[in-house]
Amino acid sequence: MLLGKSAWLAAGRETRRARCHMRCARRQSGWAGRRARAWAAGAVLLAALAAGGAAGCGETASTEGPAEALAADAVRDPQAVAGHIDVWGWNIAAKSLGKLVPDFNRRHPNVCVNVSMTGANLQSRFLLSLSAGVGAPDVSQLQMTDAPKYIATGRLTDLTAVAAKYEKMFSPSLWRNCIYKGRVYAIPWDMGPCAVYYKRDLFERYGVDPEGIETWDDFIAAGRTILEKSGGRTKMLPLAATGLGPMFEILLQQNGGQVFDEEGRIAVNSPQSAQVLATLRRLVESGICANVTMWSHEFLAGLKSETIATYPMAVWFGGTIKDTVQEYAGQKARWGVFRLPALQGGGLRTSNLGGSVLVIPEQCRQKAAAWAFIEYALCTREGQLAQYRNYDLFPAFLPALEDPFFDEPDPFYDGQKASRLFATDLTKIPALNRTEDWVEATRYLEQSLTRWAAGGMAEDGFFAHLEQKLRRRIGRGVSPAPAAEARADAY
Amino acid sequence: MSRPLPARAARLGLYVLLAALSAGFLFPFYWLAVSALKSQGEIFAMPPAWLPIPPRWENFADIYRETNIVRAFLNSVIIAAGHVTLALLLCSLGGFAFAKYPGAPGARKLFAFVLGTMMIPGAVTLIPTFIVLTKLHMVNTYWALIVPGAAHAFGIFWMRQYVASHVPDDLLQAARIDGCSEFGIYWHVVLPIARPALAALGIMLLIGTWNNLMMAFLLLRTPEMQTLPLLMYLLQGETRTPFGMLMAGGLLTVVPMVIAFLLFQRQFIAGITAGAVKA
Amino acid sequence: MPTERAEGTGLARGRGPACGGAGGPRRLLRACVRRHWHFYLFISPFFILFAVFGLYPLLFSLYLGFVKWDGLTEQTWVGLGNFAAMLEDDILAASLWNTLVIGLLYAPLMLALAFLFALALNQPWLRLRGLFRSAFFLPCVTPMVVIAIVFGLLYSPERGLLNYVLAGAGRALPFLGLKPVPWITSEEWSKAAVAVLVTWRWTGYNMVLMLAGLQGIPHEYYEAAKVDGAGPLARVRHITVPLMRPTFLFCGLLSLLGTVYMFDEVFVLTRGGPGISSTNFGLYLFNISFSDFRFGYASSVAYTVALGVFAAAMLVTRRSRLGGGAGEGSS
Repeated sequence: MLLGKSAWLAAGRETRRARCHMRCARRQSGWAGRRARAWAAGAVLLAALAAGGAAGCGETASTEGPAEALAADAVRDPQAVAGHIDVWGWNIAAKSLGKLVPDFNRRHPNVCVNVSMTGANLQSRFLLSLSAGVGAPDVSQLQMTDAPKYIATGRLTDLTAVAAKYEKMFSPSLWRNCIYKGRVYAIPWDMGPCAVYYKRDLFERYGVDPEGIETWDDFIAAGRTILEKSGGRTKMLPLAATGLGPMFEILLQQNGGQVFDEEGRIAVNSPQSAQVLATLRRLVESGICANVTMWSHEFLAGLKSETIATYPMAVWFGGTIKDTVQEYAGQKARWGVFRLPALQGGGLRTSNLGGSVLVIPEQCRQKAAAWAFIEYALCTREGQLAQYRNYDLFPAFLPALEDPFFDEPDPFYDGQKASRLFATDLTKIPALNRTEDWVEATRYLEQSLTRWAAGGMAEDGFFAHLEQKLRRRIGRGVSPAPAAEARADAY
Repeated sequence: MSRPLPARAARLGLYVLLAALSAGFLFPFYWLAVSALKSQGEIFAMPPAWLPIPPRWENFADIYRETNIVRAFLNSVIIAAGHVTLALLLCSLGGFAFAKYPGAPGARKLFAFVLGTMMIPGAVTLIPTFIVLTKLHMVNTYWALIVPGAAHAFGIFWMRQYVASHVPDDLLQAARIDGCSEFGIYWHVVLPIARPALAALGIMLLIGTWNNLMMAFLLLRTPEMQTLPLLMYLLQGETRTPFGMLMAGGLLTVVPMVIAFLLFQRQFIAGITAGAVKA
Repeated sequence: MPTERAEGTGLARGRGPACGGAGGPRRLLRACVRRHWHFYLFISPFFILFAVFGLYPLLFSLYLGFVKWDGLTEQTWVGLGNFAAMLEDDILAASLWNTLVIGLLYAPLMLALAFLFALALNQPWLRLRGLFRSAFFLPCVTPMVVIAIVFGLLYSPERGLLNYVLAGAGRALPFLGLKPVPWITSEEWSKAAVAVLVTWRWTGYNMVLMLAGLQGIPHEYYEAAKVDGAGPLARVRHITVPLMRPTFLFCGLLSLLGTVYMFDEVFVLTRGGPGISSTNFGLYLFNISFSDFRFGYASSVAYTVALGVFAAAMLVTRRSRLGGGAGEGSS
């Protein structure tokens, strides 16, 4: 069995080919300059050593001359845009971008695109490159949740001149995360509308009707049935006591709760949060959760065995299911999707988890070419649709959702119109106010949840305590009125 | 060989035990080597494939084709050679000075200071070091990995001990009378005598710098600058890793150190032992 | 690390250019310095590099301990805020706890193994000594990245060799109760997985240190004990172990430092996970430094823990000096 190796190699070959392309156009004049300076600094240092004097080792003063900004008409003439750009993304996402390159090159024949699958620690390496001022790619993928933090560093290119016109074409909950002090620094790529992936055979065998599941309480009841009838063998969903954060975030968006209010003040101590926590408690206490960490071995193994019946997850997880199930051929479970249960009857039956953006680092010297690529990949119907077709990257670009493709039945889900199901009510998902310390804040949240789960799940004072902690750690004030009213109708 | 039977049995037992344990300790290397010749499927086969039959040499072709491993190898060599050479130069120079100029005012105190710097844990200075290197525009150059650790307190100590006990003062005096400069003495008299100590120190430095992952991860920012360990680390994808070619590359990363160790193990062991005896 | 003995070896007082006694008039001193300019020239590289990559970072790091900074945006002075935050940092506490657990899991085992190996290799009649020594020692000279990846394969829960062997052994010898273990995918076992890797890697190193210690014990002691009728075990217990105390101490201290600041092993094998179950202090510090870019906070943590570790090391050294000195007598 090849275990996906062929896919990896294929993608590698693609990048390889792109690399050949680029050999001709060795660019990075700035890079050569930098290297010369490093040699100079090194030589100075060594000279200092040899002379044994002058402790100061000449700090070459001037930083890089600022790479030119993006003008509004940067890419007006597609033929005139030229250059070679490096693009970073992780696995599926990188493959998806790589596959766009030929079509992109029909439009912009003079731009060489090299997409690399950057592997481990992308985030850390990207930040290191930003702060060292060297080594960042020309275009990079970022997690939506991390974007505010990176944007606040001031090391990303201001895209306002070229991108402001696209504001209305993106889901507002995503666009908001790309704005800092009124300027645009990132373009939403994909999003993660949520639903529940389930195994049809198990539901049929144990007599559970997925269409009857409308609320999380229905979901729990169905889970109990499956657990009992399978003799305890089949759990309803994977949910680790140490990984409650994502589930909390999913539920919190369903009732319009917030961690921060619009001014960036702490707003986590609210009735919405309490409702979410109570639901989490019922989920965990019901015994229907398999205590497996997301992406762990058991988590993925559940896809091809009968240990787990459903995966409440975002749309991008579909790709993983298809991949995994195909790999272990012969065990093809019959999969289906039903809409995410609501917190109460009639509530919002979707949510968002994950999603990413593309950015251009300020140190990029091929900004026009980089923008041309982003614009094609993210701000055109064909670019976004191709990515959804190929790799289940769900378009954040709303015009793409009108395509008839979304009404095509998906054979993998036994002919269900899964795409339409995921696309339903997208604009109703309330925006989470993500601050630049969002990642830090959600880490504290997850820690607290882990303790809570381990310590008998007492809800008293949970959020007051969390609020205190956030206040002390990230130095933000507390929102005067808890973000009480659901803002699902704000858009 | 007229030992009593129980004693002979005990000896035999010890041999068997040591052989088994050695095999256990060497097993991961064996597994690395055979995995480098397996396909992805064989690597995860159950029951495990003990031998790669037929050997899949394509793994090496793959890693050659898919990554810039030749460049990475060269980077590793350049950094290791640069670092070891520079460090040996500075340490032997310093060690010679501390050993043979005892009369210089402050020599004792300075030497104590050098030894004292060994107590500073690298973890405390890591962030500022990164910032300093950024400001010197050394990030993403070989210098970043060659220069910072080159003045090695232990190295100075080690060279000083050796020079003090192996280089007779008379010899230096004779050289001086012949009109040799102080640097000439160091170069023509001290260095040749100190060769064994240099070898020991050199091999220790080599292994440290060749294996270094953290500094490479922090400071080498573009693909064409990556060292072998960094390349190996980055080849592990977030979800799927091409293990066959990863193992092939791993073998190429490990083998030079195994060879270096086997060639110089006497010196190397002398070197690390010196650290312990000092305590 | 410990420096006292170095003083004792004394600087060679040869016939090199020497000055008169210290404390002479200032003019003389200056002349003397000038006469020894080679000395200062030769040691200056160390001090220059130390100033740039040691002293300055040390001071800058101390300053950073009192600010909030991500290396990119502006610094803000937070006074003791970073230190206060440490008190309620669960992840820091967890990482220190993990460090302790990992250390306790492997250090006693590793040191005992190393001692036994050293004893075995120290037998004068043993042949193939070089071979055995190399086998045990090789792990610590090879790049950790590669080895950790190999261990990752061996540990793989369903398709790893280790579990295959465990399952086989469990079937063959049911009374042992062996069964496959989710090494690196479960929070319960990840620390053990790291401990096994560390044991594998560093046993040989400690063995070599102990071998050097053993070879420093004069042979006459054993001969005398033999004459007195002491068996091999008694000789180990009453001669080897007491005389090896300084070596044990040294190895113990190295293990302490090694566990606290360990990085490659966890960074590659488990990335500190699942969750943070195998995140030791070294990896935690790396994460808050270069994943979260909390330079200020990381500096305060680094300083605090370094001082703590230093104090602990001092305490242990002092203790055992006092205790050891009484029992040992003079050698």
